[in-house]
Amino acid sequence: MFVLHLVKNIIHLVMEKSYLLPHRFKKIGWFMLVLGLIMGVAMRFFGIDADYFGRIPFLGIVSENFLSSDKHFFEVVENGFLDEMVAVLIILGGILVGFCKTKIEDEFILQMRLSSLVWSVYVNYGILFLAVLFVFDMPFFDVMVFNMFTVLLFFIVRFHVLLHKANRM
Amino acid sequence: MKNTIKVQRAIKDITQAQLATIIGVSRQTISAIEKNKYVPSTVLALKLARYFEVAIEEIFELTEED
Repeated sequence: MFVLHLVKNIIHLVMEKSYLLPHRFKKIGWFMLVLGLIMGVAMRFFGIDADYFGRIPFLGIVSENFLSSDKHFFEVVENGFLDEMVAVLIILGGILVGFCKTKIEDEFILQMRLSSLVWSVYVNYGILFLAVLFVFDMPFFDVMVFNMFTVLLFFIVRFHVLLHKANRM
Repeated sequence: MKNTIKVQRAIKDITQAQLATIIGVSRQTISAIEKNKYVPSTVLALKLARYFEVAIEEIFELTEED
């Protein structure tokens, strides 16, 4: 129901070309994002495994046998779902928090939004650039995992810092 | 660019928040314009002039740097 509502809104917004989502989804976005981040931190730093809540079947469009390195296409894969859940929560939550309109989305706020997005892409790829040159093996894999989400996270933090500053002006 | 919005506001005796609501922008935007941190679009500038019932040049003025 929520998803259908969201999809309808997205189609409407793409048509009006603002590409921003309605303000009312921002709260649920925060909830999903914070939940995803807490779960992600728990997994990464407190050793909670992807199988912690058990394994469920997924449709693997591509999967690989760990031992033989054979690629399999369109096969059902049993997989611990906690990591998928964390990623989905952070991505959807992050998109909602980052791209839901503020209560009054006007031109000044739109400008702060755009500048924050540019800033975050610079910082994100600045870090990746340094990591490519100076980080190797498993630690580099870690950087890549974080880098999947940081462009959104940096943007959200930067934008809200700017909003906060503007609020106190 | 400098502007006289603060003065115009004083004449009309309204707050930033009230002006923002009337014009249909956020209070932060009015504040940022007053502090010369943001240059408004032509549309927004014209809306401000219409509300204050003055010519746009009486609110906004170019400075040396522009």
